[in-house]
Amino acid sequence: MKNTIRQVFHSSKFVVGFAIFAAVLLLIIIYPLLYPGDPLEMIGLGSFFKPGTYVSVYDAIDTESGTMKLPDANAKRIANKLSEEDREAMKVWLVAAGVSEEEIDTGDTDRLLALWKEKYDPSIKPKGMVMAERNYYKRLNKNLEGALNASEITVSEKDPESGEMTEGKTISDTDYVNTKDVANKVTLPLGTDNFGRDVLKELVSATKTSLFIGLIAGVIATFIGLSLGLLAGYIGGWADDFIMFVTNLFTVIPGFVLLILISYAIGQEQRGPAVVALVIGATSWPWTTRSVRSQVISLRNRDHVNLSKLSGHSLIRIILTDILPYIASYVVMALILQISSAILAEAQLSMIGLGPSTTKDATLGLMMSWAMLYSAHLNGSWWAYFPVLLIIALISFSLNLMNTGLDQVFNPTLRD
Amino acid sequence: MKKRTMKVLALFLSVLMIFGMLTACKTKEPKETPTTGQEANKPEEEKPTEPAEEEAPSEDEKEQAENELPREETLYFAGQQWGAVVGWNVLGDGNNNSMALAASGSGSRTIMFETLYMYNMLDASYTPLLADGPYIWNDDMTEMTVKIKSAAKWSDGTPVTADDVAYTFETNAKIENNQGLAFAPYIESVTAVDPQTVLIKAKLDDSGKPVNPLQVQQFIVQVYIGQKAWIETVETRNNNDATAIKNDVAEDVVYSGPYHKYFADDTKVVYVRDDNYWGKDASMWGKLPVPKYLAHAIYSDNAAAQVAFEAGEVDVDQQFINNVQDLWEKKGLPISTYMAEAPYGICVNMPTAWYNLDNPALQNAAIRKAIAIAVDYDKINANAMTGQSPTFEQVPRSCMNPTDGEQATFNHDAVKDLQWVGNDIDGAKKLLDDAGIKDTDGDGIRELDGKKLSFIAACPDGWSDWQASIEIVAAAGKNIGIEITTQYPDANTFQSTVTSAKQTDYDIFMMWTESASPTQPWGRVRNLMSSEFNGKDNNWSGNYGHYSNDRIQELLKKIPAETDEAKLKDYYTECVEIYLTDIPSFSLMYRPDKFHAVNESVWTGFPEAGDGLNIPPLDCTDGYGIAALYNLTLVQ
Repeated sequence: MKNTIRQVFHSSKFVVGFAIFAAVLLLIIIYPLLYPGDPLEMIGLGSFFKPGTYVSVYDAIDTESGTMKLPDANAKRIANKLSEEDREAMKVWLVAAGVSEEEIDTGDTDRLLALWKEKYDPSIKPKGMVMAERNYYKRLNKNLEGALNASEITVSEKDPESGEMTEGKTISDTDYVNTKDVANKVTLPLGTDNFGRDVLKELVSATKTSLFIGLIAGVIATFIGLSLGLLAGYIGGWADDFIMFVTNLFTVIPGFVLLILISYAIGQEQRGPAVVALVIGATSWPWTTRSVRSQVISLRNRDHVNLSKLSGHSLIRIILTDILPYIASYVVMALILQISSAILAEAQLSMIGLGPSTTKDATLGLMMSWAMLYSAHLNGSWWAYFPVLLIIALISFSLNLMNTGLDQVFNPTLRD
Repeated sequence: MKKRTMKVLALFLSVLMIFGMLTACKTKEPKETPTTGQEANKPEEEKPTEPAEEEAPSEDEKEQAENELPREETLYFAGQQWGAVVGWNVLGDGNNNSMALAASGSGSRTIMFETLYMYNMLDASYTPLLADGPYIWNDDMTEMTVKIKSAAKWSDGTPVTADDVAYTFETNAKIENNQGLAFAPYIESVTAVDPQTVLIKAKLDDSGKPVNPLQVQQFIVQVYIGQKAWIETVETRNNNDATAIKNDVAEDVVYSGPYHKYFADDTKVVYVRDDNYWGKDASMWGKLPVPKYLAHAIYSDNAAAQVAFEAGEVDVDQQFINNVQDLWEKKGLPISTYMAEAPYGICVNMPTAWYNLDNPALQNAAIRKAIAIAVDYDKINANAMTGQSPTFEQVPRSCMNPTDGEQATFNHDAVKDLQWVGNDIDGAKKLLDDAGIKDTDGDGIRELDGKKLSFIAACPDGWSDWQASIEIVAAAGKNIGIEITTQYPDANTFQSTVTSAKQTDYDIFMMWTESASPTQPWGRVRNLMSSEFNGKDNNWSGNYGHYSNDRIQELLKKIPAETDEAKLKDYYTECVEIYLTDIPSFSLMYRPDKFHAVNESVWTGFPEAGDGLNIPPLDCTDGYGIAALYNLTLVQ
């Protein structure tokens, strides 16, 4: 046993697969400890906030600030408000409004802005300019308001009763606060989804659910497949015929269709992760049965088995002690593949709305499903679906890699 | 197997897997987010029958359409037509021809068939179309006189007469199609006084008062007028059999509008301008509509249509696009909506979560109120609607939509204490505790009479914004100890269930309400609460939760005939009070009747807020919205 394990860990494929899998496992164990909280809490009002750290503006105003004179602060501020394209676009408008082209220098921000302030009129509709373009200029104009006038900004408080404004703090363009001092800030490494939920937190929780479903479903499928395969292969005769008849029935009906029908019949209320795992497990055993059976048939006439029979050992004992150990390596590999395919099956089921319910559990399939419904793939919100794809790929990949590694160790014909 | 082959195989498999996931995403079908309003209200539109044989276009036509339509003469639409067109029958209900035949209370689509007046939801005005000048009521509102424009002509060149109007109404009522069923209870007769004058007599109740004059006004903006001669032909060829008449495909139909059939199959439908259209007469538009062709490709789902819209292959898009502002702010596309700022459109509909009052637990008013006040409506607005709705703080809830006209119909101060803005978890918990509805067995779910409070919330699958809203309702339940699970059946199953006389499948479900129309807000009060629909199968008219209240029935009877403004206001205020006290349903958002986003890659001159033209953003086709077709110009 020890030797086998050492051998297994010599296989580079297994080790890589194992490392990836262990990393995913570690992530789902450690992350919730470091950052506890409900992964399904809808924190963001608005969909698909992009990844980054969000600092409370409200608190930042009240945080003690220091004055810093950074040489390129103004340039950055302007660049943030006024890109090169914006400058060119301003020129186009000014020319359309009758300013001669020589007068406009897009490099000279002050003059450009002064000219803009003087000439721009949102109510004018220059000829040939479509609504979308006019709206663009309106937004640009709004954005430019207050840019560059180096005056201080005053924050006022409104009295809720009288509606009177009392002047509060003034903020100058050289004030900086240390983000550590701000009372409220949140880091969203993978942004938020369409419900405003923290994607990373949700992803970790979803991976956990998916692994759980994969594990349960894999164990169930392997258990059913193994038991039936052993019985069919060893007993033979009518038992073999009957078991193979049932197995063939299940093989002919596409497993996924069966899965959909059963999931639909169960209904949403009962469809928690455990039930989904059970359904997946109960529909994906046939091919394990078939291959276990064929292996057992090749084993059942071996000498040691015959000896056991002659010694009067019971059926159960023969199967458990004389046959099972010989196919154990195969069974482990089958289990790994079952886990992997069960995770994919859950993802597919959730994608078509037959998985666990959204408000109760996070699963990888549900995350994909909502990302698609809110067309994250069309509006560039990659963080809502790509990490999910990546995790699914990583889990499947690592499991398959481990499987290949094991195969290399246990199958003499594949040994280097 | 060789090691290298294995490596390659492993790589190949992982790539395959990723693509597998992606394709799995694609096969999902997010079908049309609902076209709210009455157009989609018609059951027949949801169930297109099989296209008939003669539907197949001639070889010649096919060839023409396959050659690209000239882009600079074609206005492309999306989000209206799903599935192949079935028929062109102005009398039929199952045409599945949304561009040509979409009769709606907020203004029918008049590109092929025309109504007497065009309704404008922006100012509730009536612009004469086939009619000439304003309609005239007699003093007690029992008879309405409408003149017909002398210039109005059918496509075969014969004039439109009062006889056509009268005969259309008679036939509709006789064959009991949707328009007939909708108006026969309110209109006694439509007669031709002379070829240019129509007299509409309202049905009178026992006291000699009109049953509902509002419905007569609805009639003149909603019902398409057909040609008497053509209707008679159809009746003869179908041996006067009502069902056969309704199902006639009517390829030979005579129409009065500016466009007619050019080509239709299961990939697209194209309408071509009739250059002899009577409307170019100075008494109507004075010119022809600008695009020569109107085309609608039939997309498999919303996402496909959105991709085409972003690429500039679609000019006018009627579908919910989440974060629509990203299209111009982030992607810099020449796309606009009617208003440049949120909520981007005129929100006149109020998609609502209805309680199924056949469920004994939901007959408990405390539970209804607790769920309603616990729901986070700001979240629905921000996340489900992505900000394309006014909030309930901006427009406090009532039975009225956010338009100024409807908001002025009731006394805001009187109902102030009844309105809620939502996300009041503590309030909801207290309400339930006070009502003695507590969690006694410690499983986190409250019980009523020993029975766990567990409800099923549903809406159609693929209607993304509705699904997200329902999830947010379910999350509210979780917060107050009521189990709400969500279900997304396909749209046909869902709609046939909630429109049945009694159902036990869904406890909370989402449906739209009525939009802007001449009968509002009376129509919406009736839509939300009238028990006249209870016990009826195939009920698409409202009160899907089967609420009943005698006082509401009294008010519904009184309001239409009431002319005293002060009294009307009292009545409406009382309706709102009852609605907000009993909470038979609760609105989740405000929503436009039609989504209206335009891509100005080819065409420009679409209606925009504040342009002074007063054209409603109804996809350039509905009610007075069709005026937009006459203002379009090509982008220079």
